[in-house]
Amino acid sequence: MGHTDPAWSRRDFLKTTGIAAAGLAAGPIIAACGGSPAANPTPATAGAIPKARAGAQIRLLQWVSFVPAADDEIRRQAKEFSDANNVQVTIETVTGDQLQPKTAAAVEAGSGPDIIQMQYGWPHLYDTACMDVTDLVNILKGKLGTVNQVNDAFCKANGKYLAVPYCQVPNAWTYRTDLWQQAGLTNFFSTWDELASNGKQLKSKNLPPIAVSLGHAYGDAITMWYPVLWDFGGREVSSDGKHVTINSKETLDAVNWAIDTWKSGAISQNTLSWLDPDNNQAYHSGLITGTLNGASIYIKEVYTTATNHKFAPVTNNAAMPKGRQGASTLNLIFNHAVMKWSSEAETAKAFLLYLMDQTNYTKWLNASVGYNAGPFKALSNADVFQQDAKLKPFLDVVGAGKWPGWPAQPSKATAQSQVQFVVVDMFAKAVTSGDAKSAISDAEQKLKRIYELPS
Amino acid sequence: MAASDVARPVRFRRSRRQVGERFRGRLFRVYIPVAIFTFITLFPFYWMAITSIKSNSELLDHTKNPLFVLEPNLQNYIDLFTRTNFIRWTINSAVVAVLSTSISLVCSVLAGYSLARLRYRGASAIGWGVFVTYLVPPTLLFLPMAYVIAQLHLFNNYLSLILTYPTFLIPFCTWLLMGYFRGIPRELEEAALVDGASRVQAMVRVVIPLALPGILSAGMFAFTLSWGEFLYALVFMNDTVVKTVPVGVVNELIKGDEFFWGELMAAALLGSVPVALLYSFFVDYFVAGMTAGAVKG
Amino acid sequence: MASTTTPRASLGRLAGPRVRIFEHEARLGYLLLIPALLLLLVFVAYPFLFGIWLSITNSQIGVNGHFVGLANFQFERGDSVFIQSFVNTIGYTGITTVFKLALGMVMALLLNQVFPAQRFVRAALLLPWIIPSVLSTLAWRWMFDPTFSVVNWVIIHSHLSATGVDWLGKTGTALTSLMIVNVWRGTPFYGIAFLAGLQTIPVDLYEAARVDGASRWQQFRRITVPMLRPVLLVVLLLSTILTFGDFTLPYVLTNGAPFNSTHVLSTWAFAIGVGGGYISIGAAISLVLFPLLSAIVFGVMVSLRRQE
Repeated sequence: MGHTDPAWSRRDFLKTTGIAAAGLAAGPIIAACGGSPAANPTPATAGAIPKARAGAQIRLLQWVSFVPAADDEIRRQAKEFSDANNVQVTIETVTGDQLQPKTAAAVEAGSGPDIIQMQYGWPHLYDTACMDVTDLVNILKGKLGTVNQVNDAFCKANGKYLAVPYCQVPNAWTYRTDLWQQAGLTNFFSTWDELASNGKQLKSKNLPPIAVSLGHAYGDAITMWYPVLWDFGGREVSSDGKHVTINSKETLDAVNWAIDTWKSGAISQNTLSWLDPDNNQAYHSGLITGTLNGASIYIKEVYTTATNHKFAPVTNNAAMPKGRQGASTLNLIFNHAVMKWSSEAETAKAFLLYLMDQTNYTKWLNASVGYNAGPFKALSNADVFQQDAKLKPFLDVVGAGKWPGWPAQPSKATAQSQVQFVVVDMFAKAVTSGDAKSAISDAEQKLKRIYELPS
Repeated sequence: MAASDVARPVRFRRSRRQVGERFRGRLFRVYIPVAIFTFITLFPFYWMAITSIKSNSELLDHTKNPLFVLEPNLQNYIDLFTRTNFIRWTINSAVVAVLSTSISLVCSVLAGYSLARLRYRGASAIGWGVFVTYLVPPTLLFLPMAYVIAQLHLFNNYLSLILTYPTFLIPFCTWLLMGYFRGIPRELEEAALVDGASRVQAMVRVVIPLALPGILSAGMFAFTLSWGEFLYALVFMNDTVVKTVPVGVVNELIKGDEFFWGELMAAALLGSVPVALLYSFFVDYFVAGMTAGAVKG
Repeated sequence: MASTTTPRASLGRLAGPRVRIFEHEARLGYLLLIPALLLLLVFVAYPFLFGIWLSITNSQIGVNGHFVGLANFQFERGDSVFIQSFVNTIGYTGITTVFKLALGMVMALLLNQVFPAQRFVRAALLLPWIIPSVLSTLAWRWMFDPTFSVVNWVIIHSHLSATGVDWLGKTGTALTSLMIVNVWRGTPFYGIAFLAGLQTIPVDLYEAARVDGASRWQQFRRITVPMLRPVLLVVLLLSTILTFGDFTLPYVLTNGAPFNSTHVLSTWAFAIGVGGGYISIGAAISLVLFPLLSAIVFGVMVSLRRQE
């Protein structure tokens, strides 16, 4: 499978089928081949700071933030940049589920927004469409320090940076301190085994359960079950990404733990169809005691001017527990890619530079009230984390972050495995059937097919 | 006894007991089933309405009876109009629906007339060929279509939808109109031709006016499908000011971690009002149009 | 020109200067088809051919692959989710069609009667079909919500069950939910089409049958069904094809959950093709049903022809 330019082969295809789509102008094809000469007058020299071109119009596609104030802030910054440089920057937002089909369509069509917010390992998935931004990242590294290992793994492919690290959405546990006390528990669990015993205790006192999604929740399911797998020593594939290693004793331990925990009612049995909003919903209605989530639950309880401040005083957060063989976390990772078809690449890069400027970025972090965390060393702490001690766990989980498919490097295959929720489904199947071995071998079969595609 | 009434039962004098029995018969055979159907069909709408006038706290309060609302308020509707671009989306949906319906009708009327009335080689094969386009699943089509739209520089442009919606509107409308045209007696056209009109003039002056109910039916059908289309609108329209109702609602009322159910249901109801109004005025025409088209097809 | 058409129109057309008339008609005929055909060629035929090409290569999103023959289809045969989706699609379409047919017929028979507020009821019963599918499916999702389902609330409070049903969390009930929503949404279309058909059946036929002593059921079987046959076949055909390719409903309601067991072919193709980037495999999955559907269309076509 070569990295052939998509537009070229399609032109051949069109010729051979003899269909001329109206308006098949040469312009878009040339642009897709790598920069239209008219719009990029001065290619940036290595190390030079990208500057915006007056009169340019660029579009950035990202997802709708769970914290509306964060989106407002980024739009404000876009306007500021636009006014200062006489350009027009438009921020488009769609939900996370829809970001992917739109990105896929844009990549397939060879045209679309100038900057796309790449989630998880998408830069690897769409490597033929992302521009090499190594220079830009180096500039930022010079100013802001090292890049967090997960953002780095996702952004770098074949030694080149295909996206600019943007942020993380840390996931940690949010729980009800009053219910915890009622159950007679003093500390929040710090190991997976403690989770199981704490959960059982909650159940014995007829209190609402701990609940995590076992469904296809875009964020919440993955951030839970991948760390479970890793902390028991299980691995999807080998570090070189070539051998499927999921069928192991360690994985069996992890799955058995899940089965026991689920069967005993230590975690809620109602979550097989849970999507991301479901645990938030359940928590705000008092139906669960604790769950794994981004900071949105806490933010909604404490900061948003909603009518529901019911549990604000009794909500606290805690970091991820450890396992017998590791302490892993998985957070949502976002990076910005400048797309190859963009005719205003310099302006796009300049805008990204602007967003990542320490002052601007910190403003955005503060507007997010702890929902987002920075990927560069210098951006890893915002005032909001200092002001609200309860937000600290969200900062703590960033360091131990790993990515789906770890320890292999992110690739098309790891992205495929994540999109198909192979690991999450393995746990879901195991707990509903009680049969760990068949769930594992089913996952193994699926992974083999993903990592060993016909080519 | 002349069976001149098509739909109404023939009336003649009955005894009291017979009337009572007849009523009971109708009760079980007609009224009760109709009531059941209506209830099941409309319950989700009732549910949407109730949800849309509940405040968030009442919505997520599991101790209350969800079938009733204790403190109704219109906050969700207000938020829908003031904090989202709902009005804009409705206008967009309307523009796209009206234009794609018009294009589809024009194409379908011409194609339907051609296939139903004119004789030439390959007519029936083409007819079925047009229908066969339904066999191609939209999930297969939308990526290559995105490429075509990109080449035509139509992303974010109403035209991207106005040109692609007819692809699933034309086949059914053509079929419906074919049936309708076949039902119009040839003699009328012949008369016009004898009077010196050309085929096209005969079509425009005689056949089409007679086919108006069918055209109306096809138009309503097309309008409904355009209004509700989701996938293409999602992929081709980017800026919030050009989104159609389904896309805008799903995009902006589901923010990752939160479903704004109250506003969502309000939008769902309001999003179907325009088309529902259309039907309430024209439902009889719709049925009549489908009658001829459906049976003669 | 005028002399070629005689009062005996049909005979005249055959007996007169045939070639000229035929040419005239043909030219006009083809001309009138151009707008429709042009649109369909550019926006359906071309993407369709491209889709076929994708399915026999190993392309990924943004990466052009090379020809691999039927390897993608072979590959999918070993995919347990694919097989499940295939079964689900057939079951989903088959079962919902049976229900829509039966309920649609009942609905048509009812609407054909006279009763108060008839116009209102007719329009009201069309509502499920009118409302955009995305929005109504979201409403149903809310009705089946794992935490707040109103359906469960009713079930629990009428003491039919203590815990309610995990509508979207267990494979069996999730598939049932899909079918319920599909039938709710699709019955009106059948109903209106059948109603339209019913209204063209002359009442005399029923009168005559009743005089002859036929029961209601016999009247239904011997008069209604045969007269409705053309409508029936076309509606069945259209609905079956559209349900096989239905995307929005399964996507919004379950999107495969739990653990990919409720996928239908279109949603699974979407997940692999768009989500995972393997569009060639996605295309292959989308095309799998094409031969079967073509066979069905062909069969109906022949059947309708025979009746004519």
